[in-house]
Amino acid sequence: MKYLNKLSTMATATGLGALLATGVTGCTSNDQQQQEQAQAKGAFIIIEESAPGKYKIKDEFPADETRIVLKKLDGTEKVLTKPELDALIKEEAAKIDDGTSNLTKENPQVSQGMGLGETIMASMAGAMLGAWIGNKLFGNQNYQNNRKAGYKSPSTYSKSQKSFNKPRKSSSSKRSGFFGSKKSSSGSRSSYGG
Amino acid sequence: MLTLHKTTALDTDYLETLGFVWHTDSDETSYISDELVVISEAEAEAYYEAANELYDMYIEAAEHVVENDLFHEIGIPFNLVDVIKESWESDVHWHLYGRFDLAGGLDGKPIKLLEFNADTPTALFETAIIQWAILKKNNLEEESQFNALYEALVDNFKRLVTLDEDVSTFEERYDGWSFLFTSIKGNSEEENTVKLLQHIATEAGFETEFAYIDDIEFSDEDGIVYNDKSYELWFKLIPWEDIALEESDLAMLLTNIIKNQKAIIFNPAYTLLFQSKGLLKILWDLYPNHPLLLEAAFEPLDNQKQVKKPIFGREGGNVSILDKDANTIESIEGDYENHKMVYQAYTELATDTQGLSYQAGVFYAYEACGLGFRKGGKILDNMSKFVGHLVK
Repeated sequence: MKYLNKLSTMATATGLGALLATGVTGCTSNDQQQQEQAQAKGAFIIIEESAPGKYKIKDEFPADETRIVLKKLDGTEKVLTKPELDALIKEEAAKIDDGTSNLTKENPQVSQGMGLGETIMASMAGAMLGAWIGNKLFGNQNYQNNRKAGYKSPSTYSKSQKSFNKPRKSSSSKRSGFFGSKKSSSGSRSSYGG
Repeated sequence: MLTLHKTTALDTDYLETLGFVWHTDSDETSYISDELVVISEAEAEAYYEAANELYDMYIEAAEHVVENDLFHEIGIPFNLVDVIKESWESDVHWHLYGRFDLAGGLDGKPIKLLEFNADTPTALFETAIIQWAILKKNNLEEESQFNALYEALVDNFKRLVTLDEDVSTFEERYDGWSFLFTSIKGNSEEENTVKLLQHIATEAGFETEFAYIDDIEFSDEDGIVYNDKSYELWFKLIPWEDIALEESDLAMLLTNIIKNQKAIIFNPAYTLLFQSKGLLKILWDLYPNHPLLLEAAFEPLDNQKQVKKPIFGREGGNVSILDKDANTIESIEGDYENHKMVYQAYTELATDTQGLSYQAGVFYAYEACGLGFRKGGKILDNMSKFVGHLVK
């Protein structure tokens, strides 16, 4: 067995002795700078009303900011505003909590399409817009199965998946501030170790 | 009943000077036990062999997942599948280290795999440094310990460059690539675990720096940038699934950074396959009745006591022990109740005279290289204690 060592040989063979003398925090730079949280990149989505009050995702591709265009049954088009989106996501989050959202039901009747909030959450953009309810959804098996139902055709779904995974050459701007607002839940002990 | 050796505890002032500031739990009790688990050389050897064999099995199981596109089955977030495949394809995405949690191995009880913390293992400081310092303080220097975690990590850092068991060519092949080490602001255990790894990488010969995640800039073209300097190598003590679920933009950027070969990230994205407890079920499919495995499935097991646990749960959250009729006997609350669940056959952990349960943690860095124990209730949670060991 290679790694059953006598401690005396180990201390001289490695810098462990030096570490025990100085610790790990003594020699690192403390150069912290707060940076403003950058704007999230988003998606351009076209949602079509497939039956009265029922919606499907017609097309979806990455964009610098999120914009959702709604094509209604009467042929009119409308861009959803940020407050409208926030309200829809909030409403959907409440439905997910009380179990009435089609996204988290086991075999929902969605061949006609889903509600507007559900459809938005089924989109890639929904996953980003609603990052704060992401855990509720991504942990949910039914959500993963039902997301596809939000798309007009299976090819829209796979195209959307592909375009989001493609390396994006267009942007050279840097993003920062990730996990900037994450609060440490339990003080000094980590919960990562399992 | 396991054998314990009483020691004089390390004083907290000394621990603080080392950077080990998480020595006391929220209920004011010491996180580090003043006892050591006494094991025989044969028992240490068996832990070593078990972890090595399990690692090979994990490689096979992960290959099975990639080949058969079973990412969804084992709960991998869709926005990480690409980066996982990309990292799986090339040796440069070297696995730095992980920790197997094992039941048994003491008192003649068989070793059984509980899970593999392959992505963001903690207890590194405790295992590599603290239990060693306990021996020193108690004049037990001449005793042996299954603990070469520190030097195994020095070697494995060198292997990130040599990509070979042989590390002697490191100096000649290392081309000055800069290594950035990262944690999330506000958790001292995570920060100092990362700083310990940085210290070890520096000793291995790398040029290193530390930065909190929110101070780092990411871009498809420039890669990973801190203070206007690009870093080719990046270690993050941040779970991949948290990146996927909480910062999906970052998941996309990291995927592109890896595809554009701007940086290499540790632990690699594929370690999330190992981390998923869904892999326990895949392992049982591939190696049914293997002596190191417990039966595991995605639905309750028939007619046996079992443990139900979330695929990406941590610290015992939402883990339940079920009786043979699938009624809950004991459970711990948590944030993972909506996660997919794995059902794993129950196995008894070794206990002491107070009835506390002991679980072995065997670190793996190219090969099995260090052992530590945790003790607590039947389900080990965030209040469990670290216990060092002594090989006699």
